[in-house]
Amino acid sequence: MTIAALETEGLTKRYGRRTALSDTTMTIPAGRVVGLVGPNGAGKTTLLHLAVGLLEPTSGSISVLGDRPGSGPEALARVGFLAQESPLYSRLRIDDHLRAGAWLNPRWDADFANARIAELGLDPRQRAGTLSGGQRSQLALTMAVAKRPDLLLLDEPVAALDPLARREFLQTLMEVVAAQSVSIVLSSHLISDLERVCDYLVVLVGGRVALSGDVDEILATHHLLSGPQRDPSSLPASQTVLEASHIGKQSTLLIRTTDPILDPSWTVTPVTLDDIVLAYMKRARDGVPNAPRGLAVAS
Amino acid sequence: MTRFTWLQSRTQTLAVGALLAALAIALAITGIHLSHLYSDLVKPCAANGDCGLATGEFSNHYNFLQGALMFLLRVAPAIIGIFWGGPLIARELETGTYRLAWTQTVSRQRWVLTKLAGVGAMAVLAAGLLTLAITWWYRALDSLNDSMWGVFDARDVVPIGYTFFAFMAGALLGAVLRRTVPAMAASLGLLVFARIAIQQWVRPHLLSPLHQTVSLANTGFGFMVRNGGRPDLVVKAGGPRGSWVINSQLVDHSGHVAGAAERMAFVAQNCPNIGPPPLSKPNGPVPAPPGAAAAFHNCADQAARTFHVLVTYQPASRYWPFQWLELGIYILLGLAAAGLCFWWVTKRII
Repeated sequence: MTIAALETEGLTKRYGRRTALSDTTMTIPAGRVVGLVGPNGAGKTTLLHLAVGLLEPTSGSISVLGDRPGSGPEALARVGFLAQESPLYSRLRIDDHLRAGAWLNPRWDADFANARIAELGLDPRQRAGTLSGGQRSQLALTMAVAKRPDLLLLDEPVAALDPLARREFLQTLMEVVAAQSVSIVLSSHLISDLERVCDYLVVLVGGRVALSGDVDEILATHHLLSGPQRDPSSLPASQTVLEASHIGKQSTLLIRTTDPILDPSWTVTPVTLDDIVLAYMKRARDGVPNAPRGLAVAS
Repeated sequence: MTRFTWLQSRTQTLAVGALLAALAIALAITGIHLSHLYSDLVKPCAANGDCGLATGEFSNHYNFLQGALMFLLRVAPAIIGIFWGGPLIARELETGTYRLAWTQTVSRQRWVLTKLAGVGAMAVLAAGLLTLAITWWYRALDSLNDSMWGVFDARDVVPIGYTFFAFMAGALLGAVLRRTVPAMAASLGLLVFARIAIQQWVRPHLLSPLHQTVSLANTGFGFMVRNGGRPDLVVKAGGPRGSWVINSQLVDHSGHVAGAAERMAFVAQNCPNIGPPPLSKPNGPVPAPPGAAAAFHNCADQAARTFHVLVTYQPASRYWPFQWLELGIYILLGLAAAGLCFWWVTKRII
C-alpha cells in the first residue's frame, strides 16, 4: 500500500458564514492523473489551497503525501502548485522567474526549465507581464514542474486558455507524466477538458464528494438503458438509477451496476464520462442523499 | 529568499539610490559653497561683535533649497513608508503572486521576515543617508540658530526612526487590507496621525519639563480681545537660550495660575480704560485716543505687581537625549508593527 497523494477526513473550511468545503472525506491515490471536477464554487480551489498549505482547515484534517500541508521545507518541496490564472511577477523577466525558482527550491531542475523555455520559443529576457495567456500558463507550469515535486496540483490550468493553447498545455503535461513519476491533480469545471488526460476522477459539488473513482471503472459500471417504459423500482437491486427520463412509451435510464445487464428488453448504450459527471452533479445539486462514493478506490 | 527579495525590489532600490546620489551631488556643491560663505561673511564679523547684518545676509543664501530640504526631510519618511512599505505585501496579495511565492520551498515565515528585514533595511539606509546629507548641509545655518527645537524632526536621527516605523506600518496595513492603494491611503492617515500625536502629546513630556519664573516686566505682554469679548491679558515669554517653550502662564504670587476669567476680571478692575480698539478707517491708522498711552502703562505696572510668568520649557541640552528617545519610540512602534505583520501573514491569512 502506497501513501495516498491526498487524504482528507471530515475536512471543513468556512470563510466567515460561508462553507466552502463541508465534512469532506476522500482519498486520492498517488501515481495517477486525477481530475477534480465540479461546478464553479464547488470548493475545488479551497481543497487545493488546503492541500498546499495556503489555507488551513476550519476542522477535520488533510494530509498530502502523508504530511500536513506546508508543515516544513520537506513538505513544501514535495508538492508543486499551479494556481488559478497562473500568477507570475509581471515586472520580472522569464529568466528572473527561473532564477528565483532555482534559489527557492533545493530540487530545482534548471536543465528542464531552460529546455522548456527554449522549446516554447520564448525569449528568456521577456517580461512575464507581456506574455500571452497560453505562454503564462506554460511558464507557470514549467516552474511548478522544474521544482521536481512528487505531487503536482493544478488549479483550473486550462480554464482561461483558447482551444489550441489548451491542447498544447495538456500535451506538455502528458510529456511530464511520461517522463517523471509524478502524481497529478488538476481541477476544472468541465470534464471535457480533462477527459483526455486523467485516469482518476473526483467530482466535487457544493463542498462534498459526489463521485470518485478510476475513470475506466466508472465507465465500465455506468450504462444508459433504453426500452419500453417501466418503473425504475422494478430493476434488480444491484442497479442504481441515477437519472430517468420517460418520453412517450420509452424510458431512458442512467444506471450504475457492477453486474452484467441481463434483461433483454433493454438496449444498452455506452455512456460518456460527461453524461455520468453531469448526472452526479445534478443529483448532488438536488440534494439526493447517499451519493455513491469511492467505487473501490484503487490503492 | 534574500536574493529573490533583492530581485523583486532592485528596480525601486536603484531608483532611490540614483535620486539620493543626484541629491548628494547637489548638496555637496551647494554645501561647500555655503561653508565658504560662512567663512567669508560670518567668521570675520564674529571678531567685531556685531553680526546681525552678516548672518542675515548669510542665512538668505539658497532660500529655496533651505525650504525644499526641510520639507523633503519631513515628508521623505512617510513617502518611503507609503510607497515602499505599503505595496510590499499588499501587491503580492492583490495580484495573486503570493500563491506562487508561498508554494516554493520557502516557509511563509522566512518569506515575510526576509521581505521586512531586507527591504526595510534599504528604506532605513536611504533615510539615514538623506538625513545625514541634509543635517550636514545645514550645519553652518543651524549654528546661527538660537534653538534647534524648531527643526527637531528634520535633523539627525529622528527621521531614521520615523522611516522605520512608516515602512513597517505600511507593510502591516498592506497585509491586513490586501490592496495596494487602500493600504497606501491608510498608511498616509496613520502616519500623519502618529506624527501629530507624537509631536503634540508625547515629545513635550519625554522628560518632565523644567519651569522658570520671569518677571512680567521682562516679557512681551499686551491685551487681546477675542470675538468681541472682554479684553484679556496675554504674555509671551521665552525660556533660557535655546530652549523649547511649551507654554508660558500667568501666575499670581501664591503660584496660582490665573485663568482667562481671572485675567479678564483683573483687566476690567484695574484697567477700565482698556477696551476694544476703534475700528480702523480705510485711509490709514486711527490715532490713539488721548490718554491711552498713560492708561496702558498704568495698567501694565498694576499687572507686573500682581502677576509673574511661569515658563514651562525643555532646555537646549536635552536636544540629543530627545533625539535618541524619539528614535527609540519609533523603533519600538516599528518593531510592534513588524511583529503584527509577521503574525498576520503567518497566522491570519489562511
